[in-house]
Amino acid sequence: MATLPAGGGGRASTPPSIPAGDQTVWADAGPLITAACNDLQDGELIHGENFSLFAAMSALEIMDPKMDSGMENSGYRSIEEAIENNVAPVPLSLDPTVDVQRTIDVIDHLISCEATWHKGHSLAQTVFSCIYLLRIERTSSHALLHSYCRITRATCNAVISVVSEARTHEEEDLFTMAYGLPLKGDGDEKCLSILNSVEETISRQLRACKVQSSKKKPLEDIEPLQKNPELEEGYCRALLCRLRFRKHYYHVLMSMRKPQGKGLELARKHVVSCLSELAYMSKSFEFLRSSSFGSYQDAIESSTTASGCRPIGFDASLNSKLSAPTPPRATHILSWKKAVEYFQKLLHDLDFVCSLNLESMLEDLLCFIVQFQKLQPDLVARAHLQLLLVQNGKLYGKEFFHDIISKALGLPELTRDKEFQKNEFIVQLGQLIVNLLKILCTNTAWQRRKLGKCLQDWSVLSLQLEMAFKREFGELTNVMVDENMCMKVSRHLLLWTEEHTYWIASRFLTLGFELELYSPHEYCMVYWYMCVVFMKLMEKMQLRVAVHSENSQRRGKKKKDHAKDQIRDAVFSSSCLLIHCYICLSEGLAMILAALHNESNTFKVASPFNGEEERFVQHFELLQKAHVPDQISYYIFKESTVNVQISSVVKENYFREAQRIITSLRGCFAGNPDKLLELQQLEQVAERNRVAINVINQIGAHDPSLRVSFEFSHHPHFAIAVIRRS
Amino acid sequence: MEAPESSSNPVPQDVHSNTLESQKAGSPLVAQLRKLIFCRMLVGVSDGRFFLGVFYCIDKQGNIILQDAVEYRSTRRSPSSPMEQRCVGLILIPVSCRSSCHIECGIDEQMSLLSLNK
Repeated sequence: MATLPAGGGGRASTPPSIPAGDQTVWADAGPLITAACNDLQDGELIHGENFSLFAAMSALEIMDPKMDSGMENSGYRSIEEAIENNVAPVPLSLDPTVDVQRTIDVIDHLISCEATWHKGHSLAQTVFSCIYLLRIERTSSHALLHSYCRITRATCNAVISVVSEARTHEEEDLFTMAYGLPLKGDGDEKCLSILNSVEETISRQLRACKVQSSKKKPLEDIEPLQKNPELEEGYCRALLCRLRFRKHYYHVLMSMRKPQGKGLELARKHVVSCLSELAYMSKSFEFLRSSSFGSYQDAIESSTTASGCRPIGFDASLNSKLSAPTPPRATHILSWKKAVEYFQKLLHDLDFVCSLNLESMLEDLLCFIVQFQKLQPDLVARAHLQLLLVQNGKLYGKEFFHDIISKALGLPELTRDKEFQKNEFIVQLGQLIVNLLKILCTNTAWQRRKLGKCLQDWSVLSLQLEMAFKREFGELTNVMVDENMCMKVSRHLLLWTEEHTYWIASRFLTLGFELELYSPHEYCMVYWYMCVVFMKLMEKMQLRVAVHSENSQRRGKKKKDHAKDQIRDAVFSSSCLLIHCYICLSEGLAMILAALHNESNTFKVASPFNGEEERFVQHFELLQKAHVPDQISYYIFKESTVNVQISSVVKENYFREAQRIITSLRGCFAGNPDKLLELQQLEQVAERNRVAINVINQIGAHDPSLRVSFEFSHHPHFAIAVIRRS
Repeated sequence: MEAPESSSNPVPQDVHSNTLESQKAGSPLVAQLRKLIFCRMLVGVSDGRFFLGVFYCIDKQGNIILQDAVEYRSTRRSPSSPMEQRCVGLILIPVSCRSSCHIECGIDEQMSLLSLNK
């Protein structure tokens, strides 16, 4: 292969295609290097003046399999060479039956690759490891393969554009990296019509073979898909569901991108079709397994095709050297079964996005996103939601954010007010809301970090609003005389902003449980902090309710409007009650933990590295910097927990109080299955903890045989105490 | 970067460079090699690729760091195959995979380098 003698000793030649500059030649430096290195001391380097060892550490190490993407791996050196060696033949076999079988394998492997790509691997090493896709024009004589490759490419393109537009992928930047790949091509816009005509042909072939099997005379003379009449129906069906899945999936993506959410209804219909085609695909598994021939993959469960055969026409190493010199990652392609499951999940998540009511208020929207994130959606679904929410700087591409704010403040009369729209606070707040919506659509780890950072912006705005309010209205704050509009707006705005600052803080803290960032020793401080934040949140919510009812009374509204307000107030007060329930639970948990800490020597931070105070700072630094809430410190936490005893926790009856609230809330959330489910979970948490605390009290926290652990088996954020005796 | 494994660890270590600063003036060969720093260097590696870049650093074991390097590789297995190239930036070529090493220089400098080959 190489024209060079190996080793540094002999005389080596340079390739003629790399000439030296004018007036210069390539001189063999091997002997000089060998000799000079001998003279060097251990650890000595020869380098230029600007050398930095630190910078040198980032050098790409040649021939290191983890860093050097261009390393020779005994495969083909270029796509062309691979094609010349018949790695990706067109047709895939001269025997039509084998050709169909192999085409289905390619289709299946592509689906597995696509799911693997969505799960965070590079496009080059997954979907574009397919030589047919890399040289799509070669397949034009094979209508079936060609149509499938085209629509796959068009779909990848559509997905990349959604994700890169939404920019939810900062953490997953590998996703959109498509440098050097033939991702766009002429005629991809016609991919649907090409696919439709192939689908039409195959469905005719299916009809023809059914007619033949029922011994009737064929109505029209149709060339069968392949030669073996026994397999004809099975292959036709296996292909049809695969093609139809692609078609509907493409439609789902296209409909969801229609401006102002106009295609959501249609998208949901296509989601249903997609899911039913996926079910047919799963069913085709039995048939393909039984009729397959060819080299089997290692294990049936990890096979990337339904038939279990190794697909032809794929080589992931060809690409890794063509694209940027990124280290080639070890890519494990998902099995075909897992890929089908992935697409089912993706479609359910997309369906959830499509179910968004575009009339909902901002508060409901925030709940909707939180609910959506509970499904643990992957990047593609999250990007779609984000693009739906914020289009052209407007909510759903329809409403300006100053209108959203005026509605959220309960002051719809401001909607057309030019002064209000241009007000710098309103503009700023609008921007903060846009950012918040985008942050809430990112993955939970990234989201938590960003929420922590954006808290500062929110609290600065609250502070500015408060100062402006005091400056303009001074002593009037407590006087309930007939307010002028300006004052009313300022008051509402301040309350609303503060309330949402605490809402963000509570989401920040609870996400820590989902991400498993807290250790059991730290649960006490986390619940204590959560309790403080929830209290503030409830206080702000109650104030807002009070201001609202004050307004509607004063305004002397019509009966109809009054009824509307009452419903609104009821919704408000039920949200307040739910927060109250959270307060009881977090306080109860914090107090149990504090009592155990004080009385039984458990749940103490015993680490050689950092003590309790440092951990407090590490966990709540972002909240403290943003003064959320103000004047909260480690010392206050210590002060309020240092004397807690089990007996006093029993007396306080936090969990009984939580249960009481849950019972009264059931009626309010009657029509809301998600909320009812949560109430049920909270009820379990309250009941179990109530029993646990009584048991601990009876046994005595000092008892050395007592073992208490905390588990999140009933609610993601509120633990239950589990007692064992050893 | 991987953790160091052996004495031929390709990561250059500069720990003693200050104390050694005075000693190294001794070797004329080292001085000659030092002059080649920032010259263009063409290094062949054992899998047949070539790297062309600016000579930046070398250690006692002979591991070389090149700056602004370009990778040349043949697109076919046949000896006369055309080459494709791509930029790879700052690279470290461990001595174990180096099969040739050329430096760009004028004709007279070449003579002095060649005289070492005897």
